[in-house]
Amino acid sequence: MSFKDEEQVINDDNQEEEEEAVNTEEDSELDEFEDEETTRNLVVPGEILTTDTKTYLPGRGTLLTHDRSKIISLNIGLKQTKKNYINVIPLRGFYTPRPGDKVLALVTDKNPVKYRLDINAKDDAILKPKNTMKRGRMSRGMRGGPPERDNSNTEMYEIGDILIAKILSADRLNSPELTTVGKYLGKKNNGIVISIDPPKIPRVIGREGSMIKNLKNLTKSTIFVTQNGRIWLKGEDIAHERLLIDAIRKIEREAHTVGLTDRMTDYIENEKKKRGLN
Amino acid sequence: MPLIIKDEYPEKLFRDDGKRLDGRDKTELRPIKMEVGVVENADGSAYLEWGNNKILAAVYGPREVHPHHLAKPDRGILRVFYRMTTYSVFERKRPAPGRREKEISMVISDCLKPLLFLELYPGSSFEVFIEVLDADGGTRCAATTIAALALADAGIPMKSLVTAVAVGKIDDELVVDLSGIEDKAGQADLPCAITWFNEELSLLQFDGEMDLKQMEKFLSLAKTALSEIYEIQLEALKKKYIDIQEEVSGGNN
Repeated sequence: MSFKDEEQVINDDNQEEEEEAVNTEEDSELDEFEDEETTRNLVVPGEILTTDTKTYLPGRGTLLTHDRSKIISLNIGLKQTKKNYINVIPLRGFYTPRPGDKVLALVTDKNPVKYRLDINAKDDAILKPKNTMKRGRMSRGMRGGPPERDNSNTEMYEIGDILIAKILSADRLNSPELTTVGKYLGKKNNGIVISIDPPKIPRVIGREGSMIKNLKNLTKSTIFVTQNGRIWLKGEDIAHERLLIDAIRKIEREAHTVGLTDRMTDYIENEKKKRGLN
Repeated sequence: MPLIIKDEYPEKLFRDDGKRLDGRDKTELRPIKMEVGVVENADGSAYLEWGNNKILAAVYGPREVHPHHLAKPDRGILRVFYRMTTYSVFERKRPAPGRREKEISMVISDCLKPLLFLELYPGSSFEVFIEVLDADGGTRCAATTIAALALADAGIPMKSLVTAVAVGKIDDELVVDLSGIEDKAGQADLPCAITWFNEELSLLQFDGEMDLKQMEKFLSLAKTALSEIYEIQLEALKKKYIDIQEEVSGGNN
């Protein structure tokens, strides 16, 4: 396959493909908001979750105190007991990049050797030109000769472009590194990008993608949700897109309440009647 | 013609009926009101009205450190900017940060540091901006209290909240939560803060005169006052979410 073919595949905004992408991505994390054992108990930092440290273990967002007498919460969030782990699902927070995450990134700077992208994290991410194109099979020669030299330039993207990228490496010390080679990855030429609180992303997706399927069907639009709190969307017309944005804002606001999926269905249908959409 | 106001303090800080000048008992706090999420573009924010004090706090982070040489390779840093507006006190305050503001910024920063996991965020900074809109005694305590609330609202992992209050001595009596006039005319002033995960003092300053026996009594007085304020803090932090929960469940029934 030549470079050109690959690029076309990347930029093809096919609805089915994207739905699949979202559903297969982060199944483990999606359950947390909708889990039956998740209580709607709001906890705050320092609140004692349990003093029974023999049966329960500290999970995510919690801390076992130094004297091992109690488990306390570290975040404002919802208390959840899973098997013998106690977790706190945060309601506010920031995005920490992890390898494998798909993110919506904005190109903020470029020079001949790399791009710099804003991914809503502490550090700007780095995208090197070798990670923007698939290495051509033919260019290496029949016997695996030296790689092509003229790949190294940053002419593919411009400052201000919005990309869907995958994180290759990320740790506490170094800037995260991205790639745009892969399925669904690459530049977005149209649509709207909105930002929400990153901890509320699982709620927008819903259990096994139920919420996002619902939103797509009701507003007849394409959505791509990424872990860094950004959502790319494109609808039939601006009225549908506005409705979808309002709906996502409502989900963000009410993320910690029960029965959200059903309520959103009602909300969208009511709003459709009000706004005269079909 | 400029208005000239002399620094005049009343001779007695207690009224004839045994109450303080603003009508409070010795261990009574001024009315406190707190709210979180007031600054939309901040990561976390809170607003406090404590008697006549009005304080706004906003938290940003983790983010890159500017200027870059302040960044630490092994841990994050917490920067606190305590500032008073020019109109917050009786005589116009010059807007440049002075000695007092730098000291209070440092004191609050040291007070909040044990709560945070700064070692998890090397090379980054958390920034707390505290703006005193109206000051009437005990702003460092009020600022510490509200800064902790803003940090919690930002979703920054922290071990617990921190609460601060000032206790002092006026006319040879021990009182809680000194107001501006009591602070200036009183004999002693002791601001203290507690971190709730280990119930240890995180801030203790002292100005004035008293003996060691009174110190014990001071701290026990402070403890009761601190738990009272802590309740208000917790309620304020949860209110933002509970309001939405109630609104939603009310709509369904």
